[in-house]
Amino acid sequence: MTGILSRFAASGVLMVWGIVLSYFYLSNRIASYLHPAFQIYTAISGGVLLLLSLALLLTIPAESAKHGLTRMEIFPFLLLTIPLLAATKLSPSNFGATAVMNRGMVDNIADLPGFSPPLDPALPNAEGSVKEGTMMDPSLYLKKNADGYIVAEAIDLLYAAGEPTMREDFENKQVEVTGQFLPALTGNPNGDRFNLTRLFVMCCAADARPVAISVQTNPAIDLPKMTWVKVRGKASFPVEGGRHMPVIIAESTTETDAPEESFLY
Amino acid sequence: MNAPWFSFSVQDFSYAFLSVLLEGVPFILLGTLLSGLIDQFLPARLMTRLLPRNAFAAVCLGGVLGIVFPMCECGIVPVIRRLIAKGLPVSSAVAYMLAAPIVNPITAFSTYAAFRGQGAAEFTSLRLGLGFFVAVLAGLAVLNLPIGAVLKKTILESVTLSCPTGDGGPSPRAFLRRLVSAMEAGVRDFLDVMVYFILGVGVASLFSTAVNQELFLPLSLDDRLAIPAMMTLAGILSLCSSSDAFIAATFVSFPAVAKLAFLVFGPMMDLKLAFIYSAVFTRKFVAALAIGLFVMIGLLCLRLAIVLP
Repeated sequence: MTGILSRFAASGVLMVWGIVLSYFYLSNRIASYLHPAFQIYTAISGGVLLLLSLALLLTIPAESAKHGLTRMEIFPFLLLTIPLLAATKLSPSNFGATAVMNRGMVDNIADLPGFSPPLDPALPNAEGSVKEGTMMDPSLYLKKNADGYIVAEAIDLLYAAGEPTMREDFENKQVEVTGQFLPALTGNPNGDRFNLTRLFVMCCAADARPVAISVQTNPAIDLPKMTWVKVRGKASFPVEGGRHMPVIIAESTTETDAPEESFLY
Repeated sequence: MNAPWFSFSVQDFSYAFLSVLLEGVPFILLGTLLSGLIDQFLPARLMTRLLPRNAFAAVCLGGVLGIVFPMCECGIVPVIRRLIAKGLPVSSAVAYMLAAPIVNPITAFSTYAAFRGQGAAEFTSLRLGLGFFVAVLAGLAVLNLPIGAVLKKTILESVTLSCPTGDGGPSPRAFLRRLVSAMEAGVRDFLDVMVYFILGVGVASLFSTAVNQELFLPLSLDDRLAIPAMMTLAGILSLCSSSDAFIAATFVSFPAVAKLAFLVFGPMMDLKLAFIYSAVFTRKFVAALAIGLFVMIGLLCLRLAIVLP
C-alpha cells in the first residue's frame, strides 16, 4: 500500500475496532464477555480508538511520512479486521457444552475461585435471637418469590453444602434456581439427575469456571445441552463421596430465557 | 476421563477469542499510547544517565521498576520497545518486562486475596520474590548475548537510529506537532502489537476451549509432573496476571509449588505473549526465553517443594 493509502488503512482498522468496542458496550453485549469492573475500560478504549482514527485522517502527514506510520501490508490489515468481525458475527455470547465440559465442573465450594472459608458466625444474644445485620440472619440472603420459593443461585447451594449453618437455612426448603441444563455424566446412579450449571467469572469469559449442582427429576428429562431452565423443588444435601452434595429434588423444570447477568461473579 | 481430550467448537472459540480481545485491548492501547509519548517526549540519553553504570545493578533496577511503573503483560511490550530505542539496556528491559506483571501492587493484592486461608502472605511473598529473581536471572543471561541475536532487525535499527541524535533532548518542533507524532508512533505500535496479539489470542483460545483440562488432573500426584503440567496449563490458558491467582487457587489437588510455578511462569510466557514478544525480539530468542523460563522456574519450584507443602 502507498503511504497515504496506509494511513487510510490504519485509520480504517482503528475505526473498525473503535466501532466494535463501542458497539459491545452500548448494546450491553459486553455483559456476556467481561466482569463489570472491566467493561468501562473497553468503552473508553472504543472512544479513544475512534478519536485516533479521526485524528489520523485530520492530521497532515507532511514530515511524519518519513518516520510516522509505516506502510501497512495487506496481510496485517486483513488479520486486524477479519477475525474481529468474524468472531463478532459468529460468537453466540455464551459458551456451548463443549467448552464447559472441557473446563470441568466445580461442584465443591472449596474449588471455586476466590473462595475463603466463612468467618465464625455471630452468636445469638441472651434472648436467643440473632442481631440484625449479622451473617446468621437468613432474611438477609434468602429472598422468596410470590409462590414462597426461596430464589437462590447455584452458588448459594454450593456454599450451603459446605457450611452447616447455611445448610440448615436451605435444607428441605422449597427453592427456585435458574441455570443451564447439562446431562450428569457422573454422580447419577439412577439416571434421573442433570447438572444445573452457571459460569463463574473473575475477569472475562475466557477464565469462566462452570459451577454445577445436581437436579433430580421424576421422570428423567432430556433437553438440548446448555438450555436455560428454571427449576423449582426441595433443596437437599445428601452425603455422597464423603461430603454433602447439593441436590434439588425437582417439582418442576421449565425452559426460560437467559438472565440479564448470565455470569456469576 | 470419558470425554475426548480435544473437541473443537467454532462458537466457543469465537466467544473466548472475543472475550480476551475485549479485555486485553484497553491495556495494549494504554501501553502503546504511553510508548508514543515516550518516543516523543523522553530524551534519548536520559535512561542511560539515570541507570546505574553497574550492569548487575541496572538489571536489578529493571526488575523493581514494576513497583513504580506497574504494567500488565499485554501492555508492557510496546513500552519496553520504546524504552530500548531510548537507550534502556536490553537486559534491563527484559528484566522489567518479565518482572513487572508480577512485581506490582495489583498482582500482589490479588494473589493475597486469592490465597486467603492458604498461607496468603507466604505465598504472595514467594510469588513476588521468585518472579523478581527469575526476571533478574533472565536479564543477566541477556547481558551476555549479542544484541543482534535478541532484537528484531527493525527494532535494532530503531536503536541504532536513536543513538546518534546528539543530546537526544527535545526538538524545537511545536508541542502540538510532537503530540501528533506521538500519536502516530502509538498507533504504529498498536497495529504492530495487535497483529501478534490476535495470533496469540487465537492459539490460546483454541487450546483453552478445545482441550479437556481434566487431562492435567492425574499429573497432580507428583511434584515432578505437577509443576510442568501447571506451567503448561498457564501457557495454554494465557490468563491476565491480575486475576490468574484466583484460578490457580482452585487447583486444590495440585501441590502449592505447582501453583507457584503456574503463577510465575504464566505472566512471563504464554501462547499469547510468545506472539507479542515476537514484535520486538527474534523468534530464536523468544523460543530460547520460553524454554529457559520453563526449565528455570520448574527447577526452582522443585527445589522450593522442600519448604512449601
